[in-house]
Amino acid sequence: MTQETSEVLTKDHQRSVSRRKLLRNAGAVVAITAAGAVTRPRIIEGQDATPDALAPAMRSARRQIAAVDAAAAPDLPPLEVIVFNRMAFGPRPGDLDAFRRLGADDQSRLQSYVNQQLNPAAIDDSACDNILARQGFTTLNKSLTQLWTEHAVADGISWEDRQRPYRETEKATFLRAVYSKRQLNEVLADFWHNHFNVYGDDRWASPVWVHYDRDVIRGNMLGNFRTMLGMVAKSPAMLYYLDNESNTSAGPNENFAREIFELHTMGAENYLGVVSDRSQVPVDDEGRPIGYIDKDVYQATECFTGWRVNDETGQFYFDEAEHSRYEKLVLGVSIDDFLGEQDGEIVMDLLANHPGTAHYIAGKLCRRLISDSPPESIVQAAADVFYAQRNAPDQLKQVVRTILLSDEFRQTWGEKVKRPLEYAVSVLRASNADFEPNDRFRWSYSGMAQNLFRWHPPDGYPDVKEAWTGTMSILQRWRHCNYLIDWKYEDGPMKDQLRLPIETQMPASKRTPNEIVDFWSQFVLGRALPPAERQPVLDFIAQGRNPNFELTDEMIQERLRYMVALIFMSPSFLWR
Amino acid sequence: MFKVTRRGFMVGCSTAIATMAGGLTYTAFGSANDEPNHDILVVVFLRGGMDGLSVVMPIDGQDRGYYEANRERLAVPASGDNAALRLNSLFGLHPGAAPLFDLYQDKKLAIIHAAGLTSDTRSHFDAMQYIELGTPDSKSSAKGWLTRHLETMGGLPNEVIVPVMATGGGQPTSLQGSREAISLTSPDDFSFSGNWRWRDMQRQALRQMYSGDSSWLHAAGQQTLDAVDVIEYANPGDYTPENGADYPNNGFGRGLQTVAQIIKMQLGLRVATVDFGGWDTHQSQGEGGTGYFSSHLSDLARGLNALMTDLSNSNGTDHTKRLTVVVQSEFGRSFRENASRGTDHGHGNVMFVLGGAVNGGSVMGNWPGLGPDQLYDRRDLAITTDYRRVLSEIMIRRFGNPNLGIVFPGYSDYQPLGIVRGGDIPPNYSDEPVDATPIPDPGGTIPGGTTPTPTPTVTPPENMDKRIYLPQVNR
Repeated sequence: MTQETSEVLTKDHQRSVSRRKLLRNAGAVVAITAAGAVTRPRIIEGQDATPDALAPAMRSARRQIAAVDAAAAPDLPPLEVIVFNRMAFGPRPGDLDAFRRLGADDQSRLQSYVNQQLNPAAIDDSACDNILARQGFTTLNKSLTQLWTEHAVADGISWEDRQRPYRETEKATFLRAVYSKRQLNEVLADFWHNHFNVYGDDRWASPVWVHYDRDVIRGNMLGNFRTMLGMVAKSPAMLYYLDNESNTSAGPNENFAREIFELHTMGAENYLGVVSDRSQVPVDDEGRPIGYIDKDVYQATECFTGWRVNDETGQFYFDEAEHSRYEKLVLGVSIDDFLGEQDGEIVMDLLANHPGTAHYIAGKLCRRLISDSPPESIVQAAADVFYAQRNAPDQLKQVVRTILLSDEFRQTWGEKVKRPLEYAVSVLRASNADFEPNDRFRWSYSGMAQNLFRWHPPDGYPDVKEAWTGTMSILQRWRHCNYLIDWKYEDGPMKDQLRLPIETQMPASKRTPNEIVDFWSQFVLGRALPPAERQPVLDFIAQGRNPNFELTDEMIQERLRYMVALIFMSPSFLWR
Repeated sequence: MFKVTRRGFMVGCSTAIATMAGGLTYTAFGSANDEPNHDILVVVFLRGGMDGLSVVMPIDGQDRGYYEANRERLAVPASGDNAALRLNSLFGLHPGAAPLFDLYQDKKLAIIHAAGLTSDTRSHFDAMQYIELGTPDSKSSAKGWLTRHLETMGGLPNEVIVPVMATGGGQPTSLQGSREAISLTSPDDFSFSGNWRWRDMQRQALRQMYSGDSSWLHAAGQQTLDAVDVIEYANPGDYTPENGADYPNNGFGRGLQTVAQIIKMQLGLRVATVDFGGWDTHQSQGEGGTGYFSSHLSDLARGLNALMTDLSNSNGTDHTKRLTVVVQSEFGRSFRENASRGTDHGHGNVMFVLGGAVNGGSVMGNWPGLGPDQLYDRRDLAITTDYRRVLSEIMIRRFGNPNLGIVFPGYSDYQPLGIVRGGDIPPNYSDEPVDATPIPDPGGTIPGGTTPTPTPTVTPPENMDKRIYLPQVNR
């Protein structure tokens, strides 16, 4: 140490509870001050309303660059467009018409569609099932123990066999997203996989991925949250991913305990930080702490000690010898000594039944289904249902129904952007593609940086536009579109079959640039392009000709698919 | 001298290029007059919480005893096989970080220990947000600290084309709200691609489509089209690192290499971010200075060393003279190892600052000690240097930007540790910006600093006349 070496830690270096409390209590004030301070120098964005004299001193010429108007939002499209872009992976040809036939008005159509989607077993999905059946998958029907014995611990198992359950689930997920009529199921499966994120392409996760996807996530996503939480906690995929399988009384590992609080249940919004004196934590009307502190995490860590995976079967088992036996205190509740496996169950009961969890999960679902910043009105309404129905076997179905039938759902548009998965799948759906999730597709898709089940940190892929509107991110979506629209997707016999089928989708009667653009706008977007987007598309296909005059077959043939690509790359196609 | 403005570049007409065709050299594209004097800040963020006590650890004294007692299996030996590299009488460096040791001995690397975010949180996601927004304990800021630094630092003439970039696919929180930041994995991949016959027309159409409104999505689309034009125009081609630089073959290495490439392209880069994940080592970190942590750290050290080497001599120009690299993580890890041979979320950590203007070769800060009563919350390394203290010093001394009140609202404790050389100007703690002094004393405060002569190494693509958006040239 070359400087100030002799100084030792003084009192003010040690955190005390009063500081944290002060910060929490002053949270609103701090926030306002900070926000005020940082938005004051108005430099590039045009969204600050107050005129200010400071600007000229700044780099004024540069503020013209990509000015953002926060108020500039696209018009609300027809309800069916909202429905298929937010509770589905975009419409397939015919979907929007089918929706319109569901009832006399928007309200009854939505009601009817949501009811259908929330009862997926009643939807005939045989076309998708047949497509899946043709893939020759071998692992998707295996039990956990079969998966474990045949893919995880079998002697001399190859890496390919170890990965097979994961790879087949990945392919099946793409295929279902593109072809399944149970679209809400697919959206929710993606949501819950990210909520209970596990990195799938890993030594212990890959072999059991079918179990994690089929039984743990999909098996519960319209059911009860507490049940799902328990299955997640006891699944080999999660036990290994967050290291709980090595959490022992002699050497606690806090990884899982921390994330079950922060990411799986109460969320960071209910984290009060490092507080050493429990009596400082405020309680609600029922005497419950309003949030959790690090001590809760450490005590919960003790509760989850000895949770193991049976080496021979892959099933959960409880190892009494590694369990911390003595009394624990979690969220103000004393958990008696010698309760064994029950300790962890009690912690999960406390978490699943905490109002903070209801609010956090409801908020995340609203963020997925409505807006990056959902109105508190609908978040609270959904949280109330989550909490009131916490013991119901269809708790999550009721929460999702509340969100989808809300005014907020119907009246919100353009506050989210299609992420790569939604983008890639919606292109394939809109163009009625003959889709094959082969290696070339995966290669191009992976450039967009949202590979399925391959997010390393435990928080899941971000679900806000800021994460997906960087230049590389936008460019990669355009590149992927270019890739699909041309014929690089496959060489050999499948080459033409896997090229997006554009020319064959359009009736021969569409001959003029105006007709062609309007047909494709409706076909792909379910609505007309706004004028500022329509004109460049029209100019592209017309190439200087009168847009009311017919184009020759040759002209249509050579440029149509590149015109359609433009629609796939337009702002209108990216909004959600 | 040609002057190419960024805006002009984007919206210029094709007649302009006729003037340029043939004679334009690469340096006319950026800002040849100013750029070589401007500093570049590269922020490397180690995601997951790097175990700083495995990187720089006590090798002697009472703390060595505490360290060995708490790190029974993980401790890096103080002597013998795989021993720590001796930094001074108290501290050693993990042997896996040998390439950093070279920089330390060259006095280009400063180590700040017991540094970090003082907020009482052990959450990855809270900690990263607080640090990157520059607002501990609050997540409400719409902009990251680097965005605010760029907005208030001055010295950004219009002809600067790429002032800020994030390597990798995403944009980190520190650059949140920046409409100028471009993100890219590698310039070579940063092309529109598409069918050769139609792609230029598609780009023209997209520019019109995305100019039709001013929503966030339209802005993002325009920004993307601008960036594609810029990078394509700069014609990066295949990149070969210079001076024998050896980047690790992973996303981190490629990110650093991209930074070097963009710096050499002289597009006016001021700030770049590079992320490197994989530090959340709850288990099997590797014992006695070996294993996973060692090889991961070795990638970090190799990459940083390669960046410095690569930029040290490019046709006679030493770009490292204006380069400052900061390496930080969201928190350190628990002092005591866990039963899985790993460590859990902790508090204080080590930070690195390296570059040509760094007072390297020392371990800085106040060492709080590792005794039970000296630990934060009786379990983690305490923090005696707020991470903002380190960043503020770089802002002021290297960028002449005194606007701490805007970049780090609420922080009013500016005390340079002497990490970097440069002029001290009084910090401005108010939320009213004052003019920044772009370079406190160009050349003078950088010992041995001279204004390097930019060397045109790249010529524009031959098919320039086929482009749609061409620079507008003002003489």
